[in-house]
Formats: sequence, C-alpha cells, structure tokens
Amino acid sequence: MRKQLLSIAAGLMGVTLTAQAALPESVIQESFFPYKNGGPDVAEIKPGMAINAGNVDQFVAYLDPATYMFIKRGDYEITVGETTSFDLHESYVEATRQFAGQAKLGARTGEIDAPGAGRPFPQEPSLDDPRAGEKLAWNYKFGYNWGDSAAIKPFYWKMRDMESGKVERTFKMNFNFLNFARRTAQDPHPEIQPNPSALFRATYVQVLEPFDVKNTQLLVQKFQDDLKNDNAYLYLGFQRRVRRLSSGQTTDAFLGTDIMIEDFEGYNGRISDMKWTYKGTQWMLSPMYNHNDMPLAKEHQEDDGYQFIDFVGKGGCFPNITWQLRKTHVLWSEPVDPNHPVGRREHYIDAQTFIIPRNITYDRNGSMWKSWTIGQSHPDHHLPINKGTGVAIDDSFSMVDIQANHCTTGQFKGIVDPKLSPASKFTVQQLRAAGR
Amino acid sequence: MPEEIRTRRSLLAFAVAAALTPVANVQATDWSGFAENATYHRDGVGLSKFRNTVQLEMIKPIETSGGWYNVTLNGVLRATYDGVYDLNDKEFGEDAKYEYLGENWHPNEDVSNQALTPGVAVPCENDDRLCNNLSGYMDEDANDIRYPDFNDEMDFIREFYIDATRDIGDDQLSVRLGKQQIIWGRTDLFRVLDTINPVDYSRHNIFDELEDIRIPQWMLSTELRMGANSVFDDMNFQMVWNFDKFRPHNMGTCGQAYRLVDAGCFFASYIGFPPDFPVPDYAGSLIPIIHDVVLPEYTLQNTQGGIKWEGVYGDATFSLNAARYFQQLPSIHYRPGAVPGLPALDGVFDIHFPRVNLVGGSIDYYHMGTDATWRLESAYTEGEELPRDTDGHKETPVVRYVVGMDKNIMIPALGSRSAFLLSAQVFGQSIQDHEKDMPEAKDNWIGTLLFKGWYMNNRLSPQIVIAHDVEAEATAIAPSISYQPDDHWLVNFGFNIKEGGEQKFPWSVAAANGDTSPQWEPLARFTNGPIGVANQEDEIQLTIRYGF
Repeated sequence: MRKQLLSIAAGLMGVTLTAQAALPESVIQESFFPYKNGGPDVAEIKPGMAINAGNVDQFVAYLDPATYMFIKRGDYEITVGETTSFDLHESYVEATRQFAGQAKLGARTGEIDAPGAGRPFPQEPSLDDPRAGEKLAWNYKFGYNWGDSAAIKPFYWKMRDMESGKVERTFKMNFNFLNFARRTAQDPHPEIQPNPSALFRATYVQVLEPFDVKNTQLLVQKFQDDLKNDNAYLYLGFQRRVRRLSSGQTTDAFLGTDIMIEDFEGYNGRISDMKWTYKGTQWMLSPMYNHNDMPLAKEHQEDDGYQFIDFVGKGGCFPNITWQLRKTHVLWSEPVDPNHPVGRREHYIDAQTFIIPRNITYDRNGSMWKSWTIGQSHPDHHLPINKGTGVAIDDSFSMVDIQANHCTTGQFKGIVDPKLSPASKFTVQQLRAAGR
Repeated sequence: MPEEIRTRRSLLAFAVAAALTPVANVQATDWSGFAENATYHRDGVGLSKFRNTVQLEMIKPIETSGGWYNVTLNGVLRATYDGVYDLNDKEFGEDAKYEYLGENWHPNEDVSNQALTPGVAVPCENDDRLCNNLSGYMDEDANDIRYPDFNDEMDFIREFYIDATRDIGDDQLSVRLGKQQIIWGRTDLFRVLDTINPVDYSRHNIFDELEDIRIPQWMLSTELRMGANSVFDDMNFQMVWNFDKFRPHNMGTCGQAYRLVDAGCFFASYIGFPPDFPVPDYAGSLIPIIHDVVLPEYTLQNTQGGIKWEGVYGDATFSLNAARYFQQLPSIHYRPGAVPGLPALDGVFDIHFPRVNLVGGSIDYYHMGTDATWRLESAYTEGEELPRDTDGHKETPVVRYVVGMDKNIMIPALGSRSAFLLSAQVFGQSIQDHEKDMPEAKDNWIGTLLFKGWYMNNRLSPQIVIAHDVEAEATAIAPSISYQPDDHWLVNFGFNIKEGGEQKFPWSVAAANGDTSPQWEPLARFTNGPIGVANQEDEIQLTIRYGF
C-alpha cells in the first residue's frame, strides 16, 4: 500500500512537473509574433484596394457575416490597409514565457489556476480541444489589452438614427482602466497592494456632457475570482448618491446607447457567465490601422491638435479607417442564464493581441442583433506618449443595432499613462469626491 | 453676525487660501445649466405651479503648487420665478382667502374649526402682528414667494465652494469649503442620515429631488481618504462643520401652493374665544397661535457638525455616522397664561428648534442570490421634540430606519430590451417615549415603490412612484413619462394623485368645550402626514427643460 501511495505521489508530481515545464519558444513566437515573416499571402486582397457592394462577394471568406452584409447592402465600404505587427509589450511576453506553462483550467468554467501574469494559454487552439474556447476567453480576459492602466480622455459617444443619420445624443466621457493584478509593465507588479478583496481590474467612467447626465459616474470592479459577480457602483449627479448596481444592469443599455456594460471592450462579463466554443482560426479583415494615417474628423479637435477618427457610411455609423488582414480566432459565447437578452455572441479575436475588434450579437431567436466594431490603432502611430507601449489602442467603435436601425459610435483619445489612473481613482469614495 | 463667528470664518478662509498658494494658473471655467418651466394644474383649484427656473453651474479648475491638487472653484446659481401667485391669485399668494383652517384637506365640521381661525395668507402682507410673531421663520413677503431664491439668505447662490486635495503620506486629505450640500445615507425620498442640510418643502412638498430642495449651508467638509488596507477595500473619514446660521426646513408659508402638513396656515392662525367666555380678558379675544420663533443664537457653540466613517468591506459598503445639530422641524412650546388652563394672551406657542444628537449607520450589500442590492440605513436621535397635545411637544428619542431593495429586471413582454428598475423601500419611525396624546403613532411605516422603464434608447422613460403611509392610510401615486428628443430638451408629463388623509385626533381644547370626539385640527395634520394632508392636491404636471 505504501508503495502504491508513493507511486501515486510520484505520478502526481510528474503531472505537475509536466504542467509547469517551460513552453517551447516556438509557441511564444507563433503566439506573439505571427507576422515576423510578413503578412499573409492572399493574392486577391492588396493594401489600398476598396471593397464595396460591387466586389464584396469575392472577399466573403475574409469578412465576418455582419461586415459582409453592410458592404453588400451599400451601407459601408472599406479600404484595405497593410498588415502590420502589433507587438505587445515585452514584459507581457516575458511573463508568458515564465508562467504560461503553469496555467490550468479548473473543473468548472470560470475556474483557473494561472499564477503570475501573461497569456495563460499561448498554444494554438485546437478544434479537438473541448475547452479551447474557454482558454481563448481566458487569454482575452488576461490579455494585455490597455496594458496595466490607461485612460480615454475624452471619449465621445454618439447615438445615431441609422436611417436619417441624425445624431440624437452626444456623450462626452472619460474612461480609466487599472489592472490590480497580473501587471507586467507599470510599477508595482505583479499586483497592487493592499488588495483585500483580490480585485483583478477596475473601470471608472465619468460623464462630462450633456447636462442631464453630467457627473454620472460608473465604477466596475472585477475580481480575480471569476465566479464572483462584478461589483458595480453608479453615482447619479442628480441624486448625488452612489448606488450599487445589480448585475442585471450590466446587460442594460448604458446611458441608453446600443452598448451594454457587458459589451465593453468586446466582452466585459465573467468567463463563467458563458459557454465558450472555439470555431476555428482564419485570415480575416479586421479594423486595425495607424491612427495618424487616417483621414481624421474635424469635429471635437483637441487643444493639443489631436483629432478623432471620422465616421462615414449609412447614418454615419461606420469608422473611416482601413482594415487589414489578420490572423483571427473565431469564438462563440452563449449565455448560461436563459433570461440573458443575448442569445449568442460571435467574437473575432485578433490572434496576436487577443483584443476583440469584431463582435456580432444574436438575439434569443437567433437573429442577428448587433454588430460591434472596435477599431484598433497601432500605438506607434497615435499620440507620442503611446509610442512603445505595446498596447493596441482602442481608437474607434461602432455598435450597430441592426434590428432597430440605430447605432452608437465612439471616438477615443486613448492615453497610456499611469499617472492618469492611480488606484485612488477606482474607489467608491472617488465617485463621491468627483461628484458635487 | 457675532464677532466671534465672523473672525473665525475669516481665519478659516485665510488659512485655506494660504495653504493653496501660490496659485500658478487659473484655467478656463466650465459653464453648464438649464432653463425650465414647470406648470402644474391642481384638481378643483386650477394652476398650482408656474415655476420658471434658470440654473447655472460652474467649475473652475485652479492649478496650484505647494502640495494641493484637484483644486476647483464650484458654483451653482439659481433664479426662480413662480408665476402661480400672479396667475392664480385667488388661490395662492397674498390675496388668497381661506374659509377655514385646513380648507384644502378636510371638511369644516368640527369644534376645532370653530375655535381656530383660517390661516392668514402671507402674513407679512396681511397681518403685522402675525408677521412679527413669525419673524425669522415664516415671514416671507409677496416677492419672497414669487422669487424664492432672492431672499435675505441670498439663496440664488445655491452652492459656492472650493475643493482641494493634498497627499498626507499614502492618504489623501480633501477639503471642501463654502456653501454646499452634504449628503449622507442611501435613502430615496426620506431622510434618515441625510440631516446636514435643511430642506425646502415649499417647492413641491416631498416630491422633488432632494438635490433641488436641500437648502445649502456654509460648511467645511474635511475628508481623509485612506483607500484600501489589509481589511477594507476603501476607507474614508469625514468631518463636517456647519458654521452657517441655523436654518430650519421651509414647510411653506400660508398662501404658498405647497405647505407641508399645512403647518404654515396653522402657525398663521388664531384661537378665538367667544364673547361670552367666562374669563375676563379672554372673552371675544383672538390669540395668535404663535407668539415667537426662538431661533438658536448664532454663536460658535451653536454651530453644527458631524463625523462619518465609511468604507467598503467585501460586497458591502457601509458608513457609521454621528451628528449634532438643531432639529429642522419646528417644535411648539405651550405658553401658559395667568389663568390656569388658558394660554398666554399674546400667543399660545413659541416655536423652538432643540438640539439633537444623532448616531447611525448605513450599509448596502449586493446579494448574488436575489441579484439585487439591499440597503439598510438607521439612526437614533436624542433631543428631538415631537408634537403632543399636552404642552405642544415632548422630547423623545427616536429610531428611524429604511430597508431598501433595488433590482433590475428584464421584462421582454413590456417591449423593451432595457432592464426595468424596481426599487422598493420601507421607512420606519419608532418613537421611544411615546404618549397617548402624541398624534404620530409610536411605530409607523411608509413604503415606497419605484418602477421605471426605458424605451427608444432611454430617451422615453415611463415610471410610476407609489408611496403609502401605513398609519395615515394615505397613498400617493405618481405616474409620469419623460421624453428627451435630443441632448438639450426634456419634457416630463405626469400625474400626482393622493388618497387618504382621513384620520382625526382628539384635541384637549375641544374636549374642554364638551367635544371629546377626534378632531381634524390641529393635531391630526401630524397623524395624516405630508401625503394625507395633501389629499386634495391631485395634479397634472408638465415640465419642460432646456439643458446647456
């Protein structure tokens, strides 16, 4: 019996040792540097070409269904840009080298043992792996995203009637993001202390205009334990009180726009709220570009000369940017909660950065409901302060409610500067302090 | 203003100014605001509000060196003209005439209404004696009620304060000095801990947003923001010093369109003695109900303040509060005359505002099982004086509490993809040393329910608010719908319907005249509360606002 126990123990140790073994460098290279030998060799798609209603059928294999539909209907026309490498910050890549071999999924969706930082599952996903989708979701959640902290200051959202093009509402906001854990580039790392509730990340939103929602503030705190619901607090300027939000409000239209809090950044819910299915990897056209090379908007020009991405197409609902061919993982998420308003989301994840530039939302009846585009700028072709940060800068968004013929567009001034997002900004007290 | 207070105010302002210097740069001022017309029509009365408001809000960031940062100068200016006093002057304003006390609440059927005269509308326009007796409290003249912001207290400056923060070690010290609102607690509509600022109920009874009806005070608020530690996710300690002259709640002067429990008309009335009354001097006399308003003297010792410790622990946010202030509702003190059992000839009561000590706390907690946020707020006070037949008042400890629940629910059957907000709360009051002749119940509860939905990208929002006072058996129902065509315009249309207000309460004066039956006046106004006494104030309400 004693021998048997020793044998089992040795076996377990062997499993552990195997799991903790460093990943081959080739896995790191393939995951983080897929363009080191240049872009994809797709003969029919060349930088500078326009894809419109007249020729879109030739490119259907490289477009997600919603983008194809918009172009086919003549709502939007895209110009192809050169495929460029969006290298993430070296500290994040190094953390992946150090820790990725130790990451293990738990028994249930939403459970993970992934010490340290970095991308937990850099290996190529496999259709044969029943939990491949979940691993991609974790790679997204623990992705470099905005880096350890960043601000969007300011951030213009416009609600538009897609049919008439009328801008119904314009919101001017500031957004701040801070990672409390899994930090790699900004001090302190890997975690801000003290952190008694083991927060993972926080998002702080302050509405500046228009008058009726001025001083509205939102604080969303995500926990390292994914099974725990986010804490969300709302400060309403007209009540001057901080209210706790129930999670139902995170699937609600934020300020009446076409966007839920759960939609933020591509997906802002818990891993455990969804059933994840990996559907394959392919070359697809993605809204990724160099901000400074785009024809920029004249409206809302900043004092420092910064100009925002412009919007064109039907109703002014689409960003005037170039799209480039990118290696893309297709991931579906289906809400576990039968009362969730979403039936399914299709996420088109950029394989290099693990940001989600394209999402399609289907309703409970399986009909296409919303198309969610988050345009990404290369940081070296944006504000000078962002150069070298290794952050794919969220730079423009478009959420089209296809069923309501309505859209919300977003124009970002993203700034990767830790001074703008101290930990004190992500407290309940900050909501009271910043309000009247 | 006493010299001591003035000196200390100056020193304080100098100290803050010195700490903030040298001022390096003054940045551009951000201005915003709105213009609004609120037109209400009351059933059987006609126009009850034609209020026109312009409000300007400014914030001026100030760059500093010397350790202070986030330094801003903030202001809110408001100008209001309520045209109802010109457009419906038979019902409201200085020319209004009432047939009997409580005319807009109950029938004229009791001995109490024979003993008490109708309230005199706007006493300072119609009755010098009452005006003098009510001096310092309900002494508005005709223009004061038309232009309520332009009074002696310069209420058109609703807020004017400077904010500044500096680091102390790892903590932040934040100072807010000036005329401001300080909000404590987590309760809608009712106030348990939110006692720092008095409230102007003359604007629209209890039904306006508290932000618009709190009476800002000159105060110093100092906060030490300690952030997270090994136990709490956030911790903050606040000290509030209200060094402004004491101001009570504005309950509405007789003649105004909104009068909380119609106290304004009771205070502006007389008790009459018949010509054949057997006591000389009293026979045929009219004695004013109020002899004097005794406001706390404006001294350093009489300034008010409080402390609050709040934090976040796991899923709960909490606060512990303590405050020392003056009661903001009037307490009436009986003035006996030379003849036992009869009041003084020059006035039955004085109005006092006693010292109150409050301790309390609040907590809210998100519960995953119910997917709802639960709120609890409670306060215990000592020193409050509540209405009583004997002597007009009694001092008693009071416990107040609110249990609230907020939940967002998707209801596809109602045709919206936005979640509906369901917010329910129960406000409770328990009078610790209750007496039988106190018109308020020992224990009473008011329940409120808010159900609100959103359509058209939140630009169309119907809602219904229901409030029910258990002991008063009075209910207010306020359905409304708001529409925002763009960033600037807001139109709100609604109804405000009240039921109840049928409770009577015995009055010793009536009993002394042989009628021991419960009476309408004067005590039942407290039994029926603000909802019940407003039972004939059913209104259609239209508000149009342009924000900029």
